[in-house]
Amino acid sequence: MSDVATDTVLRVDGIHSYYGSIHALKGVTLEVRTGEIVTLIGSNGAGKSTTLRSINGLIHPRRGRITFLGKDITNTAAHHVVGMGISQSPEGRRLFPRMSVTENLEMGAFQRTDKANFKEDMERVFTLFPRLAERRSQKAGTMSGGEQQMCAIGRALMARPKLLMLDEPSLGLAPIFVERIFETVIEINRQGTAILLVEQNALMALDVASRGYVLETGTVALEGPADRLKADEQVRKLYLGEG
Amino acid sequence: MTSADTAETIVKARRAAIGPATAVALGLIALLIVWLAVNFEKSPALFVKAFLIGITNGSVYALVALGYTLVYGILELINFAHGDVFMLGGMMSATFLVSIFHLGSDPSAVYLWPALFASLAISIVFCGVLNASIERIAYRPLRKAPRLAPLITAIAMSFILQNVAIAWKGPNYISLPINILPHGVVFSIGRNTYTWDALIVVLLTVPVLVALVWLVQYTKRGKAMRATAQDREAAAMMGIDVNRTISFTFLIAGGLAGAAGLIYAIYFTSIRFDQGFQLGLFAFTAAVLGGIGNLPGAVLGALFIGLVQSFNNTLGWHAPGSDWTQSIVFSILILILVFRPEGILGERTPEGG
Repeated sequence: MSDVATDTVLRVDGIHSYYGSIHALKGVTLEVRTGEIVTLIGSNGAGKSTTLRSINGLIHPRRGRITFLGKDITNTAAHHVVGMGISQSPEGRRLFPRMSVTENLEMGAFQRTDKANFKEDMERVFTLFPRLAERRSQKAGTMSGGEQQMCAIGRALMARPKLLMLDEPSLGLAPIFVERIFETVIEINRQGTAILLVEQNALMALDVASRGYVLETGTVALEGPADRLKADEQVRKLYLGEG
Repeated sequence: MTSADTAETIVKARRAAIGPATAVALGLIALLIVWLAVNFEKSPALFVKAFLIGITNGSVYALVALGYTLVYGILELINFAHGDVFMLGGMMSATFLVSIFHLGSDPSAVYLWPALFASLAISIVFCGVLNASIERIAYRPLRKAPRLAPLITAIAMSFILQNVAIAWKGPNYISLPINILPHGVVFSIGRNTYTWDALIVVLLTVPVLVALVWLVQYTKRGKAMRATAQDREAAAMMGIDVNRTISFTFLIAGGLAGAAGLIYAIYFTSIRFDQGFQLGLFAFTAAVLGGIGNLPGAVLGALFIGLVQSFNNTLGWHAPGSDWTQSIVFSILILILVFRPEGILGERTPEGG
């Protein structure tokens, strides 16, 4: 075991989060280490998105602790979390529909003040997604689902995150786009960004991830290396669509 | 299958229902055009005069309408207190111009312009801060409440501001010297003249509008405003401080109302506690007409309302006259809300119909 303090990017420690009076997370614990792709799988309503919302500060857990690079961010406001190095491509993409692709990417870099690197990062996004370069002045809301997903991931990258969270990047996309998106996720990870990937497409997710967590009704039901989860009989039955 | 069929029947039924309504609307528009054409033919000079007055009044409405639309765009709240913020700006301006800068009739340019710009700045800052404070105190605590709660609070806020004005200035008109602005002739058509005071109104309004468009379109703050208006949560995820952006929007909207307050005070030279409410409703109609939340739409709607008012008040041939102005303007509001709630330039949204 290597030194936990330096190796751990994100640590979520027994968090309990609520939606109004609904007890959505009942003690979720998970960890993302340097250079990892970690996936969070589970059925609808298991608490995957709630976990991400708790991490990025849109909601605050009532109990438990979230630490990022050694700092406690349990009660940090969403707009400060970005500046610390966590950015997200949210479920449903949530682009600014009446803003151009370029403006959306600019918004991703909102907290940054370094103008020189900003241009460079914009080019990096356009290199990862040449399609976006072609559409840079198009209104984001008028693009296809796949293009919007690229834009949402690109926008999250513009924050130069140390941890990138992707919520259902494959949802509603044609298979050819899904493959492209996952290839890009691997590429982004190779360039040095830790990734927390939430997916319903568990097979794909476990293919690219090094480790995984299976959420069930607000708790972690299973965890382990991706290959082991893929081989697990229960996971195969429930999430990989095998009888 | 059946649900698709039902949907189709509904669409067909809707089309059938809209048919006669559209015909009536087209008929009304045709009648309006004929009326305008006959008036123009009978007295072109009067027509042009009415047109210029309409543009002048419309530009004041535009400043107020933009405040409604900015706030609606970001919070989906109709800030009924907005007109009253404008009214207090007018009273503030009147106080500064008359009691502090001692401007009388026909002041010399050396006194007029510095006093005017100083009062403008004071009014803008005062109304901006007032509006932002109203949001902080009255609307922010209700951010998560059902939509009706902040709406009722806004109406209450409107009454409070009106009563503050009564307590401060009393229930009567407070007036400024009628010739506070130069009334020299800029140009004349026949017996009708266009005077400097009207031109000054337009000359003060246009730079404010241009500055606003620049702010919203090209600055970082403006982009944060647009992002927050389009998706508040996503904006927070980008690192935008949503509360600060909303405060800033109220500040800008209030500043516009402050500018309008000064311009109104010096152009119409009298103001009363309830005029914010009246003008506010006109400006609100303008904002709805243009498509609420849409900045160019608000300006367009305001110019339109200004023209409706002045054609109705000024034209000679079968104009209903000023007694009917409010009825006509609010009939327009009702017609838009019924037939095109998204306004002229607004976008059809699933929830907005």
